[in-house]
Amino acid sequence: MYGKGLRPLSIATVVAIAAGLSLVFFYAPLDADQGFIQKIFYLHVPLAIVALVGFIVGGVFAIAHLRSGNRKWDAYSYVAIHMSVIFGVAVLITGAIWAKASWGHWWVWDEPTLVSFLIVFLMYATYYPFRYAIEDPERQARYASVFAVTAGAFVPLNFMAVRMAQSLVHPRTFGTANGGLPGSMMFTFLVCLAATALLWVTLVKLELTAKSTSGQLKRLRRALDAPAPGGGGSRIAPEVS
Amino acid sequence: MIGMLLAETPALPLDEAGKYVAGAYVVFLVLIVVYVAIMASKLQRMEKELRELASFAEHRAEGEAAGNEREEVSADV
Repeated sequence: MYGKGLRPLSIATVVAIAAGLSLVFFYAPLDADQGFIQKIFYLHVPLAIVALVGFIVGGVFAIAHLRSGNRKWDAYSYVAIHMSVIFGVAVLITGAIWAKASWGHWWVWDEPTLVSFLIVFLMYATYYPFRYAIEDPERQARYASVFAVTAGAFVPLNFMAVRMAQSLVHPRTFGTANGGLPGSMMFTFLVCLAATALLWVTLVKLELTAKSTSGQLKRLRRALDAPAPGGGGSRIAPEVS
Repeated sequence: MIGMLLAETPALPLDEAGKYVAGAYVVFLVLIVVYVAIMASKLQRMEKELRELASFAEHRAEGEAAGNEREEVSADV
């Protein structure tokens, strides 16, 4: 069921990424202040936005799970958070590369945007040990959902706090003080944002499809493993790990 | 410290900035490729398991069919 529409979604993602990269390198003008290095922002900022929104989406799915008790929402929440953590790794690495090129340092500890993102990332990195430390599947899903809701609520609060903290050096993509991005850069940025969001949705769908297929296989194995009605009771080979 | 950083960091020339930009995009590409490779190995595992289950189901069906035939023969006798 989860695999439905995966192919057109994948094609749309590939087209959007190709369009985004073409715009970044052949259409968007060079930044007057940062020069060529600013091209990293078309990758880094959409990844950060999509990762943070993904964490919030994970929290929304967790609310749906807690309200309905349907394990499907827990799977959605888990996969959304999982994918956002992967995107978070990309955000931290691409950000560090930009910082090294622009500031001469891989990391600056007194920059609120960097440190706050790291805090959010590390908080979600604890989601896995927290979740898998609980053996009972029902309790595991419920506690993980509570975690996802709490952490998901923290993400926008953290974002607003950082915005109010008057950042000193971290550039603002949508900054209004100097009029924000010029039209061509904004268009390129929005295409890149759409491409990154599509990639996130595609990978979430792919992961959900894999998880669902694996679950169906387990069901099939259990059904076949049960003794045949005519007796016998033969066992099939142990599960492939 | 931040003020000093800003003062000392003008825009990099293209030849120097290029490697950082390429590095960032390559990191992204590598992450995607690693993820796809992990998914491919999962898919391979599932395919193997499905093949096992299919062959088991076939053997079981054959066994049941043979059992039914034996029952019919003994009933005739």
